[in-house]
Amino acid sequence: MFIHNFKYSIKLLLKNRQLVFWTLAFPIIMAVLFNMAFSNIENSETLEAIDIAVVDDNSFNSSLIYKNSLKSLGEGDERLFNITYTDEKGADELLSEKKVTGIFRIVKNEPVVTVNSNGLRETVLCYVVNEIKSTGDLVMKLGFEDIRKNISSGNKIDYEKEFTDIAQDVLSSDANINNVSTSNMSYIMIEYYSLIAMACMYSGLLSMTLMNYRLANVSAVGKRSAVSSAKKSRIVLPSLLASFVVQIAGLILLYLVLIFYVRADFGNELPKIILLSLAGSIAGLSVGTAVSVMVKAGENAKFTGLVGVIMAGCFFAGMMGVMMKNIVDKNVPILNKINPVAMITDGLYALYYYNSYERFWFDVISLAVFSLIVLLISINGLRRQTYDSI
Amino acid sequence: MPEKVIEVRGLTKEYKDLKAVDDLSFDVYEKEILGLLGPNGSGKSTTINSILSLLKYSSGSIKIFGKEMKPDAYDIKRDIGVIFQEVAVFEELTVYDNIDYFCGLYIRDKKQRKEYVDDAIELVGISYYKKFYPKQLSGGLLRRLNIACGIAHKPKLIFLDEPTVAVDPQSRNHILEGIKKLRENGATILYTTHYMEEVEQICDRIIIIDKGRIIAEGTSDSLKKLANIEEKISVEIHSLSDDGIEKAKKLKYATDAVYDGTNLIVSYGGGRDNMTRMIDFLRDNDYHYKKLYSERPTLNDVFLELTGKELRD
Repeated sequence: MFIHNFKYSIKLLLKNRQLVFWTLAFPIIMAVLFNMAFSNIENSETLEAIDIAVVDDNSFNSSLIYKNSLKSLGEGDERLFNITYTDEKGADELLSEKKVTGIFRIVKNEPVVTVNSNGLRETVLCYVVNEIKSTGDLVMKLGFEDIRKNISSGNKIDYEKEFTDIAQDVLSSDANINNVSTSNMSYIMIEYYSLIAMACMYSGLLSMTLMNYRLANVSAVGKRSAVSSAKKSRIVLPSLLASFVVQIAGLILLYLVLIFYVRADFGNELPKIILLSLAGSIAGLSVGTAVSVMVKAGENAKFTGLVGVIMAGCFFAGMMGVMMKNIVDKNVPILNKINPVAMITDGLYALYYYNSYERFWFDVISLAVFSLIVLLISINGLRRQTYDSI
Repeated sequence: MPEKVIEVRGLTKEYKDLKAVDDLSFDVYEKEILGLLGPNGSGKSTTINSILSLLKYSSGSIKIFGKEMKPDAYDIKRDIGVIFQEVAVFEELTVYDNIDYFCGLYIRDKKQRKEYVDDAIELVGISYYKKFYPKQLSGGLLRRLNIACGIAHKPKLIFLDEPTVAVDPQSRNHILEGIKKLRENGATILYTTHYMEEVEQICDRIIIIDKGRIIAEGTSDSLKKLANIEEKISVEIHSLSDDGIEKAKKLKYATDAVYDGTNLIVSYGGGRDNMTRMIDFLRDNDYHYKKLYSERPTLNDVFLELTGKELRD
C-alpha cells in the first residue's frame, strides 16, 4: 500500500505541468537568466573596492567595534572599502558628488548608513554594517549575561576585569568578518543563494498539491480516499515522502546547472549548503502541508497564494536586494525570524562570510524547529477523518 | 427475509440554522437497489456523507453489515464502494492508472488488482479509452470512469450519489445498465438522484425525501397510488378560455384541469374511456388541438401531491 501510494504520488507530481514548471524548471531558468544578466556586471565590479565616507567624530571614535572593523576592512590589497574619514559636511558633499557609495556615521550610539541608490555596492555596505552590529551586540550581551550570573550567584565581581574582557571581545570581534573582501563579495552568488532558498520553499507546492488530493474537505479525490479502507497515514506519509524525493531531484538538477553550467563557486562548503537545502526543503514541505490543511480556499487559489507567500518571503529575505533584509531586520525583526526563506539565505550568507559555523547551525536548527512546529499545527487536520461540513 | 445491509435510525444533521437531515430512519436490504429520490438540496448527499462517516452528524445511529459505522471502521469500508456526485479522478493519470490507483487502496495483490481493473473497465464500457487522460474524455465517459474507480474493488455495498448528472442519454443508459449488472453480481446499492425516471427504471424500492425528511417510501407502484391520480391527458391547444378550463374540470372522473397557455392537462381519479370523452369534448366545443396523449401518473405527481411542488423546482 505504501509503495503503491508512493509510486502514484510521484506520477501525480511529475505529470502536473504547473508543478514541474515551478519546482523544477523555474529555478533553473532563473539561474541561467541570472548568469546571463549579471556575470558581466560581476566581472567589472568585483575587483574594485567600495568608496565610502566615514564621519570621523567623537561618537565614531568611541564606538570601537565599528572603528576597528572598518579599519580592518579598509586595509590590504583585497580590501572591501576605500574609506575617507571626514566630517558631516564633507561626507555629505562626497555623497552628493557621487564620489562615495555611502556614508557611515554613528548617531546616538547606533550605526547609520546613508546611500543615494540601491545597487550592489550600497547593498554590500549595508550588509557589512549590519553584520558588525549583530556581532557587537552578541558579544556585549554575552558579557553582561556573565556579569549578571556572577551577581546572582553571589560571586565577588571584578568589574574592571569584566569590562576589560568584554571590551577585548568586542575589539576582536571583527575577526568574524575578516574574510569579507572584494574577492569573495559576489552579487551573483547572493542571487544564487536566494534562488536556492526559493527552490527549497517551492517544495511546499509539491506537498500542498498532494495533500489537497488526500483531504476529503478539499477535493473530490480526497473524499474517495477518505472512504477507502486505506488508513490515512498510509496515504499521507507516502505523499510527503514523494514530495521530498521530487524536491531533491529538482535541487540536484539546480545544483548541476549551478555548478557545471553557470560555474557558481561553492568552494568547500557544498556539503553544508546541501544540508541547509534539505532543511529548507523540509520547511517548504511543512508550509505546503499547513496551507493545504488550514486554508479554506480552492486548489488554484491555494496554489497562487502559496507562490505569492514564497515570493514575499524571498522579497523580505533580500532576494531583490539585501537592503530589504536590513530594513526588515531593523523594523520588524520578528518577520525574518519566522521567515524560512530568511533562515535559508542567512545560513548561506553565514557559510560564505563567516569563519564560525555557529550562525549556520543556528539557521539549520531554526529551520528544523520551524518545520516541526508547522507540521504539529497541521497534524490535526491531517489526521481528521470526519468533518462538520463537506 | 433478506439481511439488512444498512440500518439508519434517527439520523439528524444540523447546521447552524438548518436541519439538513431530520430524524431519518430506513433500512437497505441485501442485493436490493434502494433509490433516494428528492430535489436538489433535499439532504440526499448529506445522508450519504453521514452514513459514510465523512460528516459528523448531530444524532442517530448507523449500522453497516450489522456493525456500527465509524470513521476508522476499515473492515466495513473494505466492502464499500462510493461514486460521488463530483467526478473524483486525477487529471494527471490515464483512465487505467486512475482505476488502478483507487483499486489499490483496497486490493494489494497486483495480479488480482489487474483482473479487477480490467473487469471494471469492461463493465462501464471504456476499454477503448484505457490510455486516455480524463480531459480527453466526454462528460459521459468521464462519469463512467468515475463509476469504474468506485467499484473496481468489487464492493458488496455501493453508494451512487447522482452518478448521471449532466450525462448524455446514451451514457446514461449505459450507466444504468451497468448498475443493474452490479446488482446481478450480488451488490447492494443505495442510489440517489433527482431523476424520477431513473429510480423507476432501476430501483426496487424508493424513498422520497424533502427538506431532510422522508415523505414517502415504497415501490414505484405503491408510491404512485399516493398521487390520487389514475391517468393524465395532455392536449396541446393554443387558445382556451377560462370557461373552457372549467368545462374540462367537469369532465367525468376528472379531478383537476390546468392550462399553461399551450397545454391543457386533465387529471383523472379513475375511468376507462377518458381519452374518448376528451376527444368528444374537444370536437363538441370546436377546439383545434395538435397533440393529444395519455400518461400514467409519475413520481413527480406523487411529490407534487405530497409537497405541493415539483421535484425539479
